[in-house]
Amino acid sequence: MMDQHEDPKFEQWLEDAAKAYHTPHATPREAMWKRIEDARRNKRVIELRPWLRWAVAAAAVLILGIGIGRWSANRASAPAAASTAAGGRQVANEIDSLADVAYQVAATQYLSRTEAFLTSFRADANRSTNTARLAYQARELLATTQLMLDSPAADNPRLRALLEDLELVLMQISLLNPVQDGHDRDLITQGMNQTNVLPKLRSAIPAGPVPVRRTEGAL
Amino acid sequence: MDESTLIARVRAGDSAAERALYDAHVDRVYRLAFRLAGDDALAQDFTQETFIRAFDRLGSFRGDAAFSTWLHTITTTVVLNGLRKVKRFRQRETDIDDAHEIGVVRRHAEPEGYRTVFLMHDVEGYTHEEIGVALGVETGTSKAQLSRARAKLRVALSDFAGEWVK
Repeated sequence: MMDQHEDPKFEQWLEDAAKAYHTPHATPREAMWKRIEDARRNKRVIELRPWLRWAVAAAAVLILGIGIGRWSANRASAPAAASTAAGGRQVANEIDSLADVAYQVAATQYLSRTEAFLTSFRADANRSTNTARLAYQARELLATTQLMLDSPAADNPRLRALLEDLELVLMQISLLNPVQDGHDRDLITQGMNQTNVLPKLRSAIPAGPVPVRRTEGAL
Repeated sequence: MDESTLIARVRAGDSAAERALYDAHVDRVYRLAFRLAGDDALAQDFTQETFIRAFDRLGSFRGDAAFSTWLHTITTTVVLNGLRKVKRFRQRETDIDDAHEIGVVRRHAEPEGYRTVFLMHDVEGYTHEEIGVALGVETGTSKAQLSRARAKLRVALSDFAGEWVK
């Protein structure tokens, strides 16, 4: 008997079957182009590039240096008290700037989670995800959104606008009614598409891995 | 207009050239995204993200490889990272709900690399060289993964033995 590995009919059948796998629809050129243009117009809500990590490290070294300086000054003489106070103010400023970075990193982390949630929500065409769970997750993210809106991260007007859009979408999902679930989900998805919230969200997330550990407890 | 001129014009901020470059490549990018994602909304998202990144990073395109190769590298990165994110998110949901089912799913899951190489090569017609560049692997690795993917498929499809005789 011929092994199926050598059977040309099998190879042909496999090839045909593979071509029918996830057969793409016609390319929605215009709709995608419009969203690309919109997203690029709203590009870069926050910038968090690798250099920023270096900036954090540099700021940390600076603080350490100032700390050592203060310690040396205290040891040297009492008249150095005035310069120590100035050093203290500088330390406070540096800590503030580090806190800003921490908020930006936390914002990136939060935006990534929200993007994954909303992408999953929109892709869940089969309604396989339990409504109660969706609502619970949306409430969790909504709480973070509201904290973000009250944090220095929202000083950036574009990030604030995005957070407000997300607050609305998450609020709608958190209030999903299991009885009219399908219709409500469609309306939410339509709203997301009309406001381009996902492309805006994605363009706000810098490329590269999100540094998780360093930001824990930032919010 | 040849592609290098088009790219130079995009770099100079010509929005008509951006659209022309998009038109020239969007079909293939969307097809690949759709094959890998199996979902129209995700495929659209990944295609948009690919072009947004490509336009932003066009300054770093040196022209060592063809523009299409460079673009498909971005596509596979965007799609595979995007799918991992969605999968992680869904996995977490399932983790809470039904740990037993995950075991079943994991046992039957195809390794992602095999699937990607199979779809790119056998379905979409990419060469091993293009796949190697796009996935950041050696050409030999791409060939080996394709061979394993086909072998796995043969085993998986052995239940349907005889259907192709018809």
